[in-house]
Amino acid sequence: MIWHIAARELYDNLNSLRFALATFLLLALMLTNASVHLREHPARIQKYNDAVTFHRNHLNTAGNESLYKLAQQGIGDIFKKPSSLRFCAEGGEPFLPDSVQGGHHRWGSNWGEYSLESFWILAYPSSTPNVINVRPDVTKVDWGFIIGYVLSLIALLFTFDAISGEREQGTLRLMLANSISRHTLLTGKFLGALISVSIPLTISVLMNLFLISTSSDVHLNTEVWSRLGIICIIAFLYICLFLALGLLVSALVQRSAVSLVILLLVWVIFVVFMPNTLASIAGEYTSPKSNVGFEEHSWQLHYELRSEYRPRYIAGESLLKKLQVAGEYVIQDAEQQERLHEERLNRRISQVKRARTITRLSPVTIFQHLLESFAGTGFERHLQFLENVKEYAQQFRIFIVDTDRGAPESLHIFGMREGMSQQPVAPEAIPKFQDTLSLSKDFNTAATDLLLLVLFFLLVLSGTYLAFVRVEI
Amino acid sequence: MLITLIHRELLDNLMTFRFAATVFIMLLLVVTNTAVLIKDYERRLAAHNDAVKMHQRQLDEKKTYSAGRVYADRPPNPLSIFSLGLDKRLGNQIEVSHKYVPSLWDAYIHESDNPFMDMFASMDIVFIFEVILSLLALIFAYDALAGEYERGTLRLVLTHPVQRGHILLSKYISAMFCLLVPLLISILLSIILMTISASISLSPGDFLRIGGLILTSVMYLSIFYLIGLLISATNRRMRTALMLSMFVWGFLVLVYPNVILAVFPHVENQEVRRTSAFNQIEQMWEEFDRKRKHFLATDDFPGEDWGLELRGWGSRHAFFSDNPRTLLYTYESVMQFDGFGEEDEHKMPYAQNHFRFLGSHVTATADRTWLTRKPVLEDIFIQQANMERALLKLSPVGIYDAVAQAWAGTDLNGIRDFFETTRQYRRTVINYFTDKDVFGSRQWFSADKGAADWRSLPKFSFQRSSVEVNVKRALPEVCLLLLINLFMFLLIFLIFHRREV
Repeated sequence: MIWHIAARELYDNLNSLRFALATFLLLALMLTNASVHLREHPARIQKYNDAVTFHRNHLNTAGNESLYKLAQQGIGDIFKKPSSLRFCAEGGEPFLPDSVQGGHHRWGSNWGEYSLESFWILAYPSSTPNVINVRPDVTKVDWGFIIGYVLSLIALLFTFDAISGEREQGTLRLMLANSISRHTLLTGKFLGALISVSIPLTISVLMNLFLISTSSDVHLNTEVWSRLGIICIIAFLYICLFLALGLLVSALVQRSAVSLVILLLVWVIFVVFMPNTLASIAGEYTSPKSNVGFEEHSWQLHYELRSEYRPRYIAGESLLKKLQVAGEYVIQDAEQQERLHEERLNRRISQVKRARTITRLSPVTIFQHLLESFAGTGFERHLQFLENVKEYAQQFRIFIVDTDRGAPESLHIFGMREGMSQQPVAPEAIPKFQDTLSLSKDFNTAATDLLLLVLFFLLVLSGTYLAFVRVEI
Repeated sequence: MLITLIHRELLDNLMTFRFAATVFIMLLLVVTNTAVLIKDYERRLAAHNDAVKMHQRQLDEKKTYSAGRVYADRPPNPLSIFSLGLDKRLGNQIEVSHKYVPSLWDAYIHESDNPFMDMFASMDIVFIFEVILSLLALIFAYDALAGEYERGTLRLVLTHPVQRGHILLSKYISAMFCLLVPLLISILLSIILMTISASISLSPGDFLRIGGLILTSVMYLSIFYLIGLLISATNRRMRTALMLSMFVWGFLVLVYPNVILAVFPHVENQEVRRTSAFNQIEQMWEEFDRKRKHFLATDDFPGEDWGLELRGWGSRHAFFSDNPRTLLYTYESVMQFDGFGEEDEHKMPYAQNHFRFLGSHVTATADRTWLTRKPVLEDIFIQQANMERALLKLSPVGIYDAVAQAWAGTDLNGIRDFFETTRQYRRTVINYFTDKDVFGSRQWFSADKGAADWRSLPKFSFQRSSVEVNVKRALPEVCLLLLINLFMFLLIFLIFHRREV
């Protein structure tokens, strides 16, 4: 019986105007999405590969010169590997820097007996793509937009009159006069609407993936396909949530027009306004203290440290003592500066984290967070990248210490050319950076969001059952 | 008769659930968003004031003229609460110096912000109108004719001696009145909230601008109402009209503005142009360098060191720097001496002579390169953006957005006014420097005979453009909105007039 009702519902929809419009709209959006990705992705990959080659060469040149040079220049600029699933979720990538600077020469100074060179630090550049960008500001058409915004609206348009419409026409009464239970009717309605929405979605998603996978510029491997599978399941879950919401309001309200108005308002609030308004509220009320003059502050600390070490250096009785003081100063300075940069980064990150937590009240944000997690883009992915870089920096530092320890002629005074090994380092010995991304790790970060989405869905669904079972026809 | 009809329609619209619900939701959104936007504005204003103070302090600390960096800071626009536009995005601090002509592309954003927070879009009040009021307009319109037709009341009304035009007009006037209510209330609410905040002071001109904004909003809503009426007049069934209205709304408000720019890609085909312009600019600076060297070789002082072998106590450095992407090329020489030994004293007249020459020569070269640089930057950055804006204007949302920004002064023109002012200020600073012979003074490079006097330097101040300028900028699109309105009304009138009831 359920399938009978679902089939009737489906036939009803297939012939309707909304089905045709929805199919057309989704197809157009998905094709645009695919073509934009195919146009932009090769350039991104190219840029990344160039950066990696450059980085490798940079390390090898420094290593060829001496261990000291390598230790002083540091790990160099490390770039984030672009995700091949960026068409699924753009995740604010333009506002996230695509690299971490490891090894920026800040100062050099001659202290008489020895000349000092600043050591490398990890610095986090900020991405401000808009400073010279006068182009109009638009949302990127990714799956997150197509499914999260457009398809959720379509889902509401498919269900707003499912029950209230039949009630208006009187057919609901007729149907319930037969021996059909209300549960069956509701399930049938739900399945019918789900299948009707799934058809345009499936067609357009398949077209999109077909276009992307047949192109020679973009390569999708098995792991990527399994990620895509998970993304599709999440998309269906998200659509189910909105279908259930449509049915809920439709069951509660007597007239279809009223039902639609309520649904549209709910949609506008939850989907259009909540994500950004809540983020702004969270951001405004927890904004970190003003950072005007960060550079100034950083140099001030640098000078303070120098005025502390300079007298000790001059007072040093032997050359070895002077070398030790100078080395200590260089290392201290690098550590101090790196701490400063990291503190600023952590302040910024915690602000964004708070904002992101609060926006989880809106289902579309949950959906977009999930998409980002599985597509390997967005903020969480950026944090993962930063984590990887820090791990690599640690590994690199240990490598320098170990190699220096193994060099017999070295004085083991870090920070100074004269105190460290002058032997060249073999290119293959230098540790390589690996930007690891694992599906299981992404699952862990996404678990909360996934649970929340399921919870939302179950809540709305049970609400719908209760409302429909108790409603007067 | 018309009055009776309007009265009936008005009651019909005002006493509905949809009206009450929409107005309630909208006021809620307007109040929360205004509060957030005001907070954001206050924060930006505080950051601006901090930056101004910091720049002044840093300037005062510099003892020589060549080491001082004069900055111009762009204050946030209080009307950005209504329409954010580019106010928060483009650079808001720029160095004003004789060594280059400042432009939009040389500016920076001060560091106070958390750049990660840009991931979240900001909602201004115009955006709320754009989304919710247009929806309300369509909800009013979809059943205006189709509904009456379905219920048969249209037939009934037309049995009376009523002109069809009157029916249309009454529906239009009453719906517009109903839309005006939430619009005016929300604007009033946000103005009240703005006046409560201590840091925002609205001038009479601002109220005129807000008036223009209201006028434009009414026109925008009228377009959406007419779109709904058109759908309603051409469809006999309410359900179809409703479906079609919602899809049209989704397309115009949600899909079109975001998709159209992806369909027409942003092509950077100006690479050749950029490279050739950059080479040209580079050549000008090379010529400058030749002249500089020639001057050093032919002056009475032996040796060709740019700093005339000044030893002294302090630092000096000079360098060329360039940025091919924004076609920036500069020559900078910075000297901070606290004193000189006896052996340097005889070099002073030569040094002063040389720096006087450098000052005027760098200025002249910078002015000359600007003539090459300006049109190319215009072509590369502005033209493309303007084309994209024109594409967006195919949807009423795009036109409305553009006009709202023009009224608020947060559009590209408004921001460029600031950079125009910085260019004028640069002129003033250079004139001041030439009048007081700062380039040729000892304070240019040394503080031993008195430090640089930054106090008497003319101060930078930026005033937003006058209301007339805003009107001039908004007028073309306002006329366009008006024309669309008239055309659609005529179309609906014709369709409705010839329709069988």
